[in-house]
Amino acid sequence: MTDIAIRTQGLVKTYGKTRGLAGLALEVQTGEVYGFLGPNGAGKTTTIRLLLDLIRPTSGSAQVLGIDPQVEGVALRARTGYLAGDFLVDGRQTGRQLLTYLGNLRGGVSKDRIGALAERLDLDLDRKIKGLSRGNRQKIGVVQAFMHDPELLILDEPTSGLDPFLQQEFAKMAREATADGRTVFMSSHIMSEVQQVADRVGIIREGKLVTVERVEDLRERSMRKVVIQFAAPVPAEEFASVPGVRDLTIDGAVLRCRLDGMADTLVKAAARHTVVTLSIEEADLEELFFHHYANHGEAGDAA
Amino acid sequence: MLRDPLTKWLWDGRRSLLGWALAVVVLGAGYAAFWPTIDSPAMRDALANYPEALLEALNYTDIATPDGYLSATVYGLVVAILLLVYGIGAGARTIAGDEEAGTLDLVLAHPVSRLRVALQRFGALVISIVLLNLALLVSLLAISGPVGLDGITLGEYAAMHTHLVLFAALFAAVSYGVGAAFGSRAAAIAAGAAVAFLGYLANGVLPQVDGLEWTRNLSPFHWLTGGNPLRNGIQAGDLLIMLGLIVLLVVLGTWRFERRDVAV
Ligand SMILES: Nc1ncnc2c1ncn2[C@@H]1O[C@H](COP(=O)(O)OP(=O)(O)OP(=O)(O)O)[C@@H](O)[C@H]1O
Ligand SMILES: [Mg+2]
Repeated sequence: MTDIAIRTQGLVKTYGKTRGLAGLALEVQTGEVYGFLGPNGAGKTTTIRLLLDLIRPTSGSAQVLGIDPQVEGVALRARTGYLAGDFLVDGRQTGRQLLTYLGNLRGGVSKDRIGALAERLDLDLDRKIKGLSRGNRQKIGVVQAFMHDPELLILDEPTSGLDPFLQQEFAKMAREATADGRTVFMSSHIMSEVQQVADRVGIIREGKLVTVERVEDLRERSMRKVVIQFAAPVPAEEFASVPGVRDLTIDGAVLRCRLDGMADTLVKAAARHTVVTLSIEEADLEELFFHHYANHGEAGDAA
Repeated sequence: MLRDPLTKWLWDGRRSLLGWALAVVVLGAGYAAFWPTIDSPAMRDALANYPEALLEALNYTDIATPDGYLSATVYGLVVAILLLVYGIGAGARTIAGDEEAGTLDLVLAHPVSRLRVALQRFGALVISIVLLNLALLVSLLAISGPVGLDGITLGEYAAMHTHLVLFAALFAAVSYGVGAAFGSRAAAIAAGAAVAFLGYLANGVLPQVDGLEWTRNLSPFHWLTGGNPLRNGIQAGDLLIMLGLIVLLVVLGTWRFERRDVAV
């Protein structure tokens, strides 16, 4: 057994003259949730469809669950669950009919399992799909990806169209899958969508992987935003020397700064004055992450 | 039901298939019901005065016999055209239509090979053509007694339907093959329509020109009724040509489909 679920090397995909992927090197470990982040047109969908052998690379190689998708696609797809970025199905059937058929293509998935997942996501299986809202259609997509408990879930923007409650539920399902030792590879545009669920995030830009980070490391490195409103103006010197305080600005009676590390000294310094309100905001990983990789000197960031 | 791509294809197309069956039965039996008006002395005299070339172009030379009438009207014309339109439409839908709708992606992300999906769907399409033929056969058998279309044995009907199944399957194979190879529904339909149009010209119009009689041998319409299976039984040569072309088109289309990118 290998502990690498997905590995790609120098994966290139061109569509005529258009760049799809420009030499992607990816490594996803077994049992992790990997967030695959990138702006529109970066190549996320292209990557995912290459992994499932829906499209073929121009050059480079991919190994998914130790299998080359081009050689043993059927065996590979038996062990994966896939949710397309744009989950489209014939609307003239009910969710139950579709899921039964898709289950049969996998050798059968029990009715109870489908029913339980549908209930969990609050999905009505007996309505014609064309009559469902976008979010409800997306739920069918989530169910078909998870219902056979695949070793590897490959999900293209899985939470698009889902309301916050369902995004939470989805995140739980993804975490449960990895608790069983399964792997989740999911794409997204935004950090906030993957930061509660992902163990690691990789950023793809213009067909290349720009950076990979552990979410935990990012959190540790990240600085919280602090805003304190005092009853009266305070002198800046008193706070400038407090350990961990960065980017300090004092605007009359309002203090703003970023805090790296413990809050103790800052709180004690503030306590010498009358504090009207105090807020410490969780760091914006998005900002940090993009800031971080921008500093790595990646060119072509014109947009 | 819904066990595999074959049953799923038939299930998804069940309503449309019912509509086509209705059309085939109504038009087929409807034409057959006009037989008594042809089978009359007055009509025979009228036909005798028509120019031979015109009758030939319309494939009406034998029209005053039961098999000639059914060949010229039902099997060689109305139902032939209905079934070729059905075949082209269904063939285009089988891969290219599904792909353009963005719904092929999901099935191919399952543990089924493209080969299996494609061939099972084409198999389902052939089965649907057989079902339409059965509907027509049953309705013609039912009406032939009352209107006096007699003298055709069940074996001769079976031979005619074998030709008709392969004829429709040939057009289905054209649009299936082009659609599978290129992923374009429009191209698939255009190819089927072009073959139908040229085939019609080659059978009925071009042979009127001196020196172009040979074009008839290249026409699917000729392979369908040229040998008059309703009177002469199975025409092995015609069947083999159609079968060979079907296999060729399906193999080439599927071969290309297995090797190309599937569009989203
Ligand atoms: N079938 C195709 N033909 C031509 N170009 C394509 C095709 N598919 C993708 N591309 C191009 O490849 C690049 C990557 O597209 P891809 O769909 O992988 O991006 P993405 O990261 O999934 O974007 P999004 O966030 O918008 O879904 C884009 O520039 C796109 O225009
Ligand atoms: Mg995408």
